[in-house]
Amino acid sequence: MAKMIINGHEIEAKAGATVLEEARKLNIDIPTLCYHKDLSSFGACRLCTVEVKIKGKWQLAASCQTEAAAGMEVRTDTDNVRESRKLAASLLYFRYPQTAVVRDMAAKLGVDVQAAADSRDCILCGLCTRTCHEIVGVDALKFKDRGLARDVEEPKIEFTPSTCIGCGSCAFVCPTGFVRMEAGDGKRIIWDKVFKMASCSACGRYFAPVEQLEFISRTTGVPVSQLMTCVSCR
Amino acid sequence: MNTVAFSSWNGKIVDNRTSGNGAGKTKKPAEGSCPVSLDGRSYDALMGWNGLVVVDPKTDVVALTLAYIEEARKLSCGECSVCMIGIDRVRDILQGLSAGKGSSQDITEIEDIVKGVMANSKCNFGRASALTPVLDSVKYFQDSFLEAGKTATAKKGAEKNFQSAVTAPCMKACPATLDIPGYIELIRNNKFKESLELVRERCILPGVIGRACTHPCESACVRKDMDGSLAIRLLKRAAADQDLQGGSALSVPKEEKKEKIAVIGAGPAGLAAAYHLRLLGYGVTIFEALPKGGGMAAVGIPDYRLPKDILNHEIDLIKRMGVDIRYSSKVDALNAADFQKQGYAAVFTAIGAHVGTKIGCKGEEIASDDVVQGADFLWGLSLGKKTKPVDRVVIIGGGNVALDCARNCLRLGFKSVEIVYRRSRVEMPGSKEEIEEALHEGVKLTYLTAPVGIVRKAGKVAAIECIKMKLGEPDESGRKRPIPVKGSEFSLKTDMVIAATGQKPDLGLLTGKDKGTLTTAWGTIKVDPVSYSTATARIFAGGDCVSGPATLIEALNMGNKAAKSIDSYLQGKTFVDELSFEGIDVDRQRDMGFVPPAKSEEVKFLDVAERLKGFAEVEGGFNADAAMKEAQRCLRCYRLMVWQ
Ligand SMILES: Cc1cc2nc3c(=O)[nH]c(=O)nc-3n(C[C@H](O)[C@H](O)[C@H](O)COP(=O)(O)OP(=O)(O)OC[C@H]3O[C@@H](n4cnc5c(N)ncnc54)[C@H](O)[C@@H]3O)c2cc1C
Ligand code: SF4
Ligand code: SF4
Ligand code: SF4
Ligand code: FES
Repeated sequence: MAKMIINGHEIEAKAGATVLEEARKLNIDIPTLCYHKDLSSFGACRLCTVEVKIKGKWQLAASCQTEAAAGMEVRTDTDNVRESRKLAASLLYFRYPQTAVVRDMAAKLGVDVQAAADSRDCILCGLCTRTCHEIVGVDALKFKDRGLARDVEEPKIEFTPSTCIGCGSCAFVCPTGFVRMEAGDGKRIIWDKVFKMASCSACGRYFAPVEQLEFISRTTGVPVSQLMTCVSCR
Repeated sequence: MNTVAFSSWNGKIVDNRTSGNGAGKTKKPAEGSCPVSLDGRSYDALMGWNGLVVVDPKTDVVALTLAYIEEARKLSCGECSVCMIGIDRVRDILQGLSAGKGSSQDITEIEDIVKGVMANSKCNFGRASALTPVLDSVKYFQDSFLEAGKTATAKKGAEKNFQSAVTAPCMKACPATLDIPGYIELIRNNKFKESLELVRERCILPGVIGRACTHPCESACVRKDMDGSLAIRLLKRAAADQDLQGGSALSVPKEEKKEKIAVIGAGPAGLAAAYHLRLLGYGVTIFEALPKGGGMAAVGIPDYRLPKDILNHEIDLIKRMGVDIRYSSKVDALNAADFQKQGYAAVFTAIGAHVGTKIGCKGEEIASDDVVQGADFLWGLSLGKKTKPVDRVVIIGGGNVALDCARNCLRLGFKSVEIVYRRSRVEMPGSKEEIEEALHEGVKLTYLTAPVGIVRKAGKVAAIECIKMKLGEPDESGRKRPIPVKGSEFSLKTDMVIAATGQKPDLGLLTGKDKGTLTTAWGTIKVDPVSYSTATARIFAGGDCVSGPATLIEALNMGNKAAKSIDSYLQGKTFVDELSFEGIDVDRQRDMGFVPPAKSEEVKFLDVAERLKGFAEVEGGFNADAAMKEAQRCLRCYRLMVWQ
């Protein structure tokens, strides 16, 4: 437990909790696009910015990446914080003017948003890559890095079909709908890979990609034959 | 450089212009307050993370700014919302301005974006380098920007020749200038193989360096004084270790060249040069005196710090790409004409520094088994020579060789192991970690003591006479000079003495006039510091035989550089080295902002009892997850500079 102050409220922060989590406990609204409570923090959207007092000076900090600490003082509602969030939102809007979550966020944070057709762009929030690595335990999604002497024009997410098991977690977590997931005809398409679905041995319903069952079998040691029943029939 | 027209380096404004915003406000000479020259070359104007410097007042600052932004865009990883999009937005506005479609409102918008990027970027590139100097150019050269459309300078600027270079505090400190933020970022993104490939571009022994490097980079890391430096060395090791299971091959030459090149010595310098020359398409033969490769990494650095399968695997990869290594093939005479007759267009000499220097005390001149040179002792050990443990050994010296001898002796079963060093602990050239581990394992360290004479009884060493020292004024090495304390002589009982006070190259292979023209006063090989060429045509040299005993990575780097220089020489081009950033304050930046603290990942060390049972590796490494976590801490402190 660490005693700290957020917007003048003295609170007892949980060990290991972030400033973002503690602020949300107080029902303080902090905008985020790249945060998920079950994933490690990534610090990409820069919308969760707050001010933290460091050596007597107020400094901007990404609240999702800052661990709550004893004696810490935090402000979430200053002009500096608002402007900083608005700038981040306006830059995101400049890049993705047609993506709904970005448009909504920008409008909420005071950016002048124009009407436009809908499009589902990848905003590089990294939720899918972290989900695939941290939750699913498969590394099918990675950032394509840009940097010194690496000739990459635009950053993007790289998909490795050979390792993807078709679980669909990335499509579920993606805030923009960029990750393609379609189903039908005993098949599921994720990104651009087609998976054969397994049908439940009891009810016959298609319930999971065969490759996912094989993956579960590999990691748990349970034979695939025993995994062929869907959750409702188990 | 006497004056500059304008400088905002480090945020200090010097303005000697006769017109323009703020003109003539400060008439100060800029001496010492900004980069004076770039490796001795003058420049008209430069823009870097720390500001804008204009020497020639006729410089087109608009064009320079646009060129800077183009380069900055390449370095931005694009992962956070502000930096890369901010760069793009500023570029758009500036392009609009230079097309004559702008107003002073645009300047205000640029300022807002730049400040926002500096304050809120995820990494230190965004905070320190990405757009920072743009703030100065739009502020102090506003008129040029607003009039850019009329004069169409920017368009002309696109044709101008701009040069650029990138560094980071850690990169500048690394003798081989590895792209440290780059390879760490690849690890962070779970791309161990790509990370290793990037490391190999400048360090062909990643598993070796990832274990035994003296890591000056870590002392320069921006996080050092916050919550601890990045584990730069161990991350390199992680990339190499991950590959051990997969086992990737090295890239193959794109084209074959007709020339063959001889390399003398298969140490780090020789191996690095051979790899790069082979990659450039040359046929390469290494002549190595010993029955194995790796130089001091093989016969100096002990197994418990560097398991030899790691080294051998890396040498194997170099062999597999077509480098011919001839073991047990000592070159007795370095004769350029002979080599040419055998079909070698050039020779790279990398014979290291293997001859122990005398400690300068009575009795050491008598040859015996119980008074040995440190390097010879380790050499013998690694080549399978049996050493019978004795009760007491005294090791003279304070460097890594002394520490390695001592820790080896403990593992061999010597009962009392004592290092005698003439200065105090702070002056010890051995690495801090090594000293601590040695003490931890039970090595006794005696400081401020120098040997005077070896005492023998019945032909066997019985004791070593020593004298106490005190520290005086610093000598030319910058360390305090040890001065003997009169009358403080005393005797240390011992059964064996190991002299580990330094090594020199064995230059016996220099013949004829080369003996004089190729040798320095310190007994090393004389080369041109940039091209590594010697006074004799076609003969190049690098590594410890040029620098004197140094480090693995310095030797590797000389091999890298020499390979490029040999290539230039054979292709009839002049070798130009990359910008060194020497004399430029790379560790300074305007404002860091707040960095959320993050503890560094720790690795396990073997228990002392386990260690002393044999030669097992002492330091553990990171597994993939720990490496990715540690990599998250890197602030990506790329610093960009563009000049004309
Ligand atoms: C005990 C010890 C511990 C060290 N620990 C570290 C450390 O932890 N970290 C670090 O960075 N550095 C360390 N060093 C220093 C480092 O090993 C050297 O700086 C580095 O190996 C120099 O590389 P090189 O290629 O110039 O020469 P070397 O590694 O010495 O290789 C030269 C090679 O040339 C061969 N050769 C010599 N003469 C001939 C000839 N006439 N014909 C054919 N072949 C010849 C030799 O047999 C040898 O294989 C240590 C050195 C020693 C001695
Ligand atoms: S569907 Fe494939 S890419 Fe997406 S989270 Fe699952 S395994 Fe990863
Ligand atoms: S695909 Fe979706 S979840 Fe993945 S980075 Fe892009 S926007 Fe985020
Ligand atoms: S934080 Fe990363 S980029 Fe910055 S100095 Fe340290 S290792 Fe280098
Ligand atoms: S939620 Fe903190 S940066 Fe996106």
